Amino acid sequence: MGLKGHAAIVGSAQYKPEKYATAPRMFHLEQVADLAAQALQDAGLQASDLDGLVINGPQFHEASVFVPAMAAEYLGLRLNFAEVVDLGGCTSVGMVWRAAAAIELGLCQAVLCVLPARMAPMGPDEDASWMARAMRFGGHSTAFGAPEAEFDLPYGHMGQNTGYAMIAQRYAAQYGYDPRAMAKIAVDQRTNAQFNPQAMFYGQPLTIEQVLASKKVADPLHVLEIVMPVAGGAAMIIASKEVAARARKRPSWITGFGEHLAFKSPSYAADMLHTPIGPASRRAFEMAGLKPGDVDAAQIYDCYTITALLTLEDAGFCAKGEGMSFVREHDLTWRGDFPMNTHGGQLSFGQAGSAGGMSQVIEAVTQIAGEAGERQLKRCDTVYVSGTGGVMSEQGALILQGA
Amino acid sequence: MSNNKPMPVATEISAPFWEGLKAERLLIQQCEHCSHWVFYPRRHCPACFTHALTWREVSGGATLYSFTVTRIATLPDFADEMPQMLAVVELDQGVRINTNLVGLDESEVKIGMRLQPVFAEVDGKGNRLLRFTGLDKDADALKTLRVVEQPVAAAVAVRQIALDDEAGLQALVSDQFSPWSNQVVVDQALIDTFAQLSGDDYWIHTDPERARKQSPFGGTIAHGALVQILQSRMKLNLGYEITGFSNMINYGSDRLRFPAPVPAGSTIHARARVKKVERVKSGTQLTLELNTHVLGSERPSVINELVILYM
Repeated sequence: MGLKGHAAIVGSAQYKPEKYATAPRMFHLEQVADLAAQALQDAGLQASDLDGLVINGPQFHEASVFVPAMAAEYLGLRLNFAEVVDLGGCTSVGMVWRAAAAIELGLCQAVLCVLPARMAPMGPDEDASWMARAMRFGGHSTAFGAPEAEFDLPYGHMGQNTGYAMIAQRYAAQYGYDPRAMAKIAVDQRTNAQFNPQAMFYGQPLTIEQVLASKKVADPLHVLEIVMPVAGGAAMIIASKEVAARARKRPSWITGFGEHLAFKSPSYAADMLHTPIGPASRRAFEMAGLKPGDVDAAQIYDCYTITALLTLEDAGFCAKGEGMSFVREHDLTWRGDFPMNTHGGQLSFGQAGSAGGMSQVIEAVTQIAGEAGERQLKRCDTVYVSGTGGVMSEQGALILQGA
Repeated sequence: MSNNKPMPVATEISAPFWEGLKAERLLIQQCEHCSHWVFYPRRHCPACFTHALTWREVSGGATLYSFTVTRIATLPDFADEMPQMLAVVELDQGVRINTNLVGLDESEVKIGMRLQPVFAEVDGKGNRLLRFTGLDKDADALKTLRVVEQPVAAAVAVRQIALDDEAGLQALVSDQFSPWSNQVVVDQALIDTFAQLSGDDYWIHTDPERARKQSPFGGTIAHGALVQILQSRMKLNLGYEITGFSNMINYGSDRLRFPAPVPAGSTIHARARVKKVERVKSGTQLTLELNTHVLGSERPSVINELVILYM
């Protein structure tokens, strides 16, 4: 069962994260075409090679339905496979395996996976406050009949911060909590970002003391343990063996994946501390015939420090309840014994909406291709990548391997 | 300040739950087929997918599964509840509920503690939310409404302005007042309650018989201080929302005047404008001219130049 590893990521493109206020405004269709061109150039392929498209449906500016058809028409592509992925921060990981599966099924040979995440220009009749209203409840639905509108919002439960905070509080009650270890996750990643000129926090080193002195948002989370939303966008090209053979750089073969979701609010999880990344990662490793100890790097979705901590445990890099000591005992920087989020993680790179998760996939591909510059790992043939949407609601894992 | 807290809108499916809360009873669903308890309300049983759910009353005995204390309100409208105590509780039937803890000091809250339900009033119409408190607390005392609210009639678009956006903040300063707030009736009962609370029981406020004969106003009038504090019940939509602050403090008033009386039984409403925004040592000071009028009266009954300090 599963992938044979006959599809690979052969190219990528990513806008440098920028503050929303100063980032260029582009239509999403325009961004898709721009990112596609950059990714094709990176792969050394032609537009005519593309015959598959995976794109975001939600938050696509120019349409809420018929997005793939509109994008295919705008781009000028003839597609044999089109897909919309709606998995929040897990979207990138979800896109990669869907593209790989379509290629292995023989549906198509080269798939563009793209997530535009810069703001679009404001139309003359557009109401400037619509976005503020849309963001007011932080991704919580306000639709009549939506369980969260009825049973969460009136109590002030909304957005992501408090959900992650409650997971961390329960973790603390069950296994104990070391705020310094949690801060170290952010600090080690910040160290990595000092070797990545593309990162939002390049040139701004960070200490554990600074993290712990930063403002608390919801106990026990400090503001520096939470990602900064930025404008950006990213694209990847997934290709068949035949196409990958013509590509410019060392391909990252997709040899394993897993996906798991069962709830939107973690309050309804069977056990809030056994996150969906557990089953997703077990499946991914099993499919690739590998164990967690076999990877050269882990690019772990890090919307919050607690997300990274629970992923380390549930993906099997350490035992349950031992995440804090694992973090204390290992150097998580690119120079360390457990290279993690070598681009800085989203905590230091910036989180460009659902494209944020693509930064982790792209870093894996960049390391495998040996193009990571100053922060290049000596040996990088096998990388674990995770994606997380919602409040540890929808999670996925990938195993990427250089040949 | 905008104060449009989201309120539950019952559906045909969930109505028995909310009706139960109104009657101070906790009703949740149980599957007749597989005995599985269900929360939140559904048509189907998520364990066996049959449609054999029955509403049953439960005690509300529960255990705290997790919680967090917020240091930044999850929505500006919850600023009056700061710090919010958001919680997940597990009822004895095994279902979990997203809710709030009330009547508990932060130091008393421990994951795993036993809890009892508080049928918390949230409006003047008898609607209630299901909150929880410790077993040693008086759940009945905690259920009463703190503030009577009416929805704001006119919905105005809310612009978000970051506290560090100097130009944006200065642009709020205006000679134009906001739309009128909701209306509040100042009846004799309210005046009497305030007289008791404040100790100001001067006859001009409390003795309708004598006031009818002797008062220049032909009847009792509300205390100026009462009308002033009733500004809390009048929800204004100023069209903006300041973001990026950790704390917001009522720093007092630059000017407080009671130019016109509010006779008992009057309906009052308020409107406001931003008079001044200035940086001070401890943060940003916003002066809001908040005026209360008797409905239809041009002359304000209260002029309050309220100073709000954002930090």
